[in-house]
Amino acid sequence: MLKMKQLGKVFHTGEVSTHALREVDLHVKEGDFVSVTGPSGSGKTTFLNIAGLLEVASCGEFLLDGDNVNLLSDSQRSKMRNQKIGFIFQGFNLIPELNLFDNVDVPLRYRGFDAKERKRRIEQQLELVGLASRMKHLPSQLSGGQQQRVAIARALATSPRFLLADEPTGNLDSQMAQSVMALLEEINRQGTTIIMVTHDHGLAQRAKRQIFIKDGRVSELTAVDGLHSASLHSVAPLPLHGQTADAPRVAGV
Amino acid sequence: MLELGPIFRALLRQKVGAVLIALQIALTLSIMVNAIFMMQQRSEQMARPSGLDEANLFYLSNTVFGENYNHKAALDDDLRLIRGIPGVLDATQINAIPLSGGGWSMSLQNKAGEGENGIGVAVYMVDEHGINTLGVELIKGENFQSTDIEWRAASAVDWPARTMISQAMAESLFPGKWESALGQTVYINNNEPMQITGIIKTLQAPWNGWDGVERSMLVPYQLEGRNNRYLIRTEPGRRDELMPIIEKALAESDKNRIIRSVTSLEETRNESYRGHNALNKILMLVIVVLTLITAFGIVGLAMFSINRRRRQIGTRRALGATQLQVMRYFMLENLIISSLGVAIGVGAAIGLNIWLVSKFELKPLEPQLLLAGVVALYLVGQLAVLYPARKAAAIAPATATRSV
Repeated sequence: MLKMKQLGKVFHTGEVSTHALREVDLHVKEGDFVSVTGPSGSGKTTFLNIAGLLEVASCGEFLLDGDNVNLLSDSQRSKMRNQKIGFIFQGFNLIPELNLFDNVDVPLRYRGFDAKERKRRIEQQLELVGLASRMKHLPSQLSGGQQQRVAIARALATSPRFLLADEPTGNLDSQMAQSVMALLEEINRQGTTIIMVTHDHGLAQRAKRQIFIKDGRVSELTAVDGLHSASLHSVAPLPLHGQTADAPRVAGV
Repeated sequence: MLELGPIFRALLRQKVGAVLIALQIALTLSIMVNAIFMMQQRSEQMARPSGLDEANLFYLSNTVFGENYNHKAALDDDLRLIRGIPGVLDATQINAIPLSGGGWSMSLQNKAGEGENGIGVAVYMVDEHGINTLGVELIKGENFQSTDIEWRAASAVDWPARTMISQAMAESLFPGKWESALGQTVYINNNEPMQITGIIKTLQAPWNGWDGVERSMLVPYQLEGRNNRYLIRTEPGRRDELMPIIEKALAESDKNRIIRSVTSLEETRNESYRGHNALNKILMLVIVVLTLITAFGIVGLAMFSINRRRRQIGTRRALGATQLQVMRYFMLENLIISSLGVAIGVGAAIGLNIWLVSKFELKPLEPQLLLAGVVALYLVGQLAVLYPARKAAAIAPATATRSV
């Protein structure tokens, strides 16, 4: 479904070049739930931006459903985002002037659905996240957890095959975070592929696969007898469930 | 897919800036449409034909200061001299110059008597060369004969028995049947009869602001006096060449006089409408300034709104909006604001026009002009928002995931 080969991203600021991602090789299959962890500034957001077609890689190959996205125009990438990818942002990114109905409606309009179909999908998704009765409310009238649920409803409204979540629980208390995580797990069980960036290793461990980014390099952690090891580097055990840490200690690095 | 509903609902929650711009558009529309209307009316006035062969006419003033001056002989000599110069088509002595702002007026009435209503008319005193010199078109009747021309002493108060009048004057005297004016007797100075022997298609009065500017009459008179004026018509294209030649010839023919104010009819027209031209320029400046202020207001509001909503625009892009769809969003937003402004502006324009009509006797506003103003302001709005909309479209979708 998603294949990255020797992918790299370099940012140029004046004469300074920053390698945000280096030689990333990754294959995400349909139905995967991948968590992405790493220290601040490690390249997690850049990874997510490239995976979500929000940015273009500087080098390497990125295939999404077999299409080399590096070759697509801006307009084609926009359409592919709308059709295949759903986004959940740390800050929810709801449009404050629009009520819940209109917020969920935003990607559906870009898809070009007719009014009847949009209404059906909006009601269905708001029902799914338990906010159908509040569709005329503004985001400011909701709690953080409820806003994130609206953002999830919006992300799912276009029936994407691929959901990208950037710190979806980052602005929520632990109870809300568990609730949102449970919702994401349910969505994944129904077949949607999810890539989730998180600082919370407890939540990260609940994903089917975990990848770790440090200094722009991606390594996959695999569970071995309750411990995790990197596919590229051996790593020390991750912190216990529920604890957070910026980075696992990597043995020998 | 158009987003008018959500855009409108979003505007309702951020309405202060939008309402201010809408009011600016309304003000601009109301002033612009009425200003253009006033300009149009002035331009129409300026474009009215005088009836004269303006391009080939000029006149000069002749002031004599010698002793034992024989007015009649000197006048005949001067006119003979002028008419004999190659390139001159004709010349006449005349008491007033059309469009010049100074002249004679009298009133004519259908019936004799002091109680009868008279109709104001501009009076031009000319000889039998008057028609040809002015270049006016005689559409009924006949020109004066040389035998018709009377000598008017400086102290004279009586009037000759014949006159030619303009068609507009004939229509005023005989409403709906101007052609019947030919041969009719009308009265000047209440009781002095004059027979209408000719009708001229168009001959404007000296006063362009007069509501009877099209009403004029020719009277077969030559005037006694030390100050007189000659009107001269040249062959096409030779006016400027002949003006100094004739001035010099007259000056040399009699050293006891001064030739002055050698002026073309074109100059007189320009001078006559200088006020109109100046007002039109001022009104145009007002329109341009107001339109620019409105356009900059739209740009400013849109740029402010875009900078405030960078994250939101990035989110829209992340959710699948193409650059074109982002541009369209802001252009539609402007369209809604402009529509509100235009709706208020149409009402304000009509209200302002009603006030202007009542205060300054202007004509009512033409609906086509109002429509053109509406279209123009929609265009200004869309053009003004184009740059901010392009800026918005250029916001990267990755802005959605940036923390700042």
